[in-house]
Amino acid sequence: MRARFLISVAGICAATALSADVAYVTCQNGNVLSVIDLDTGTQERWPLPGQPAGIAVSDFGIFTVSPDTKEVRRLDPVSGAEQARATLEGGPNGIALDQLRRRVFVSDWYNARIWVLRAEDLSVVGELETGAAPAGLALSPDGRYLASADRDADQVSIFDAETLMQLARHRVGLRPFGLAFADDGRLFVGNVGSDDMSVLDPLLGPLTTVAVGARPYAVTFAQARAYVSNQYEDTVSVIDMGTLETIAKIAVGEYPEGIDVTSDGASVLVANWFENTLSRIDVSSLTVVEQWETGDGPRAFGAFILPD
Amino acid sequence: MKRRSILIGTLLAAALPGLVLAHGPTRQKVTLTTEVAAAPGEVWAAIGHFQDMSWHPAAFATTGDGGNEIDATRVITLGSADGPTIAEILYKFSDEKMSYSYRITEVDVEVLPVTNYSSHLTVKPRDGGGALVEWRGAFYRGYPNNDPPEHLNDAASIAAVSAVYQAGLDALVERFGAPGS
Repeated sequence: MRARFLISVAGICAATALSADVAYVTCQNGNVLSVIDLDTGTQERWPLPGQPAGIAVSDFGIFTVSPDTKEVRRLDPVSGAEQARATLEGGPNGIALDQLRRRVFVSDWYNARIWVLRAEDLSVVGELETGAAPAGLALSPDGRYLASADRDADQVSIFDAETLMQLARHRVGLRPFGLAFADDGRLFVGNVGSDDMSVLDPLLGPLTTVAVGARPYAVTFAQARAYVSNQYEDTVSVIDMGTLETIAKIAVGEYPEGIDVTSDGASVLVANWFENTLSRIDVSSLTVVEQWETGDGPRAFGAFILPD
Repeated sequence: MKRRSILIGTLLAAALPGLVLAHGPTRQKVTLTTEVAAAPGEVWAAIGHFQDMSWHPAAFATTGDGGNEIDATRVITLGSADGPTIAEILYKFSDEKMSYSYRITEVDVEVLPVTNYSSHLTVKPRDGGGALVEWRGAFYRGYPNNDPPEHLNDAASIAAVSAVYQAGLDALVERFGAPGS
């Protein structure tokens, strides 16, 4: 991986058909960040204190949340050097990045709010009010909306990502936790308490509800399908985004949690919290084709794959 | 204000036992294993019944419904007839894999300081003969809010679950013997 980074830095990185993305996996029980080159499989483990869970990655920084020490960090994507750190009094938890406006959003599990931070130095520039126990956060692909899953309020809150005004609150299933916007603008929300997934228009509200597996945790998308990690079932549900029917349930490791897609759309990666592995699902065969060991307790709660 | 919201949280939790409300920030896990001399099938015959926890020294009685079917329930009474109870539900069971998985639906955190607890109990063949018994759990600490008291923090939850598992596994070694080298 080191070699690849050197090549990138030198600016002679050739276009390649291979995905050479990097996965940054927060390992909560082991207090490390597993940094895995998805091309070579080589891995570094960067020390990351405070039982990290939330993650949001980009070229200008890897942003992590350590709920135990209430810290948010910005790390250099290549060296891992800490570039900024903030302590947020409360229960920092989920995190999302607004690349366009260089803002970072962090949910406060205990105080029904979202902190708005400047991405550069992680200084707090605002707060947004949510329902009880906000967990997952997501930005819409067009940069218009910020959504939070307000777990103990059984709702999602929608904000204008530019003005930071609240636009809507929508009732969803029980205990929404992870959520993500599809490219078509719809918002998909995993409800851990009702074993289903709410599909919403961010402004108009719920469109439908889709049954998935036991304790759906987080969702991502690849090639017109939604992939949902089912914590208590050791599976990933694959949902056709047109018909919203379940196409497959793929057996993965124990306690699957964070889930994200590679930049070429060919693979979905899921972190298996109990088993300390990261599974790679091939989206054409819908099977697990590769598995990497991680540090102890991988969560990877957020966008954790950085495109090369 | 803060005190009031904590109070309300406590009242809600008391009024709605078994419902999964707020939990601590960090899920904990414990895996303990032991090795015994008996064959896996013999050990599974002793511990592979969801309705019977009599092999565990802390269990005074087990009552329940549904046998070993998914969604079967049991209530374990601890220590003595009037002892505290733990209510649990079965969500995976396989005689073939010699493994079952269950969740706690109701327990006083003063009895076992955990929330959102799930667990697997598995018997596997041991290399060189005998059986390996593995007991693993995933859970949050007993105190769902920020800055927990010491007896309800992450370390206390790990210690309590570890003690339960260790006592059960030790009893199996006593019953079936340690494997020879």
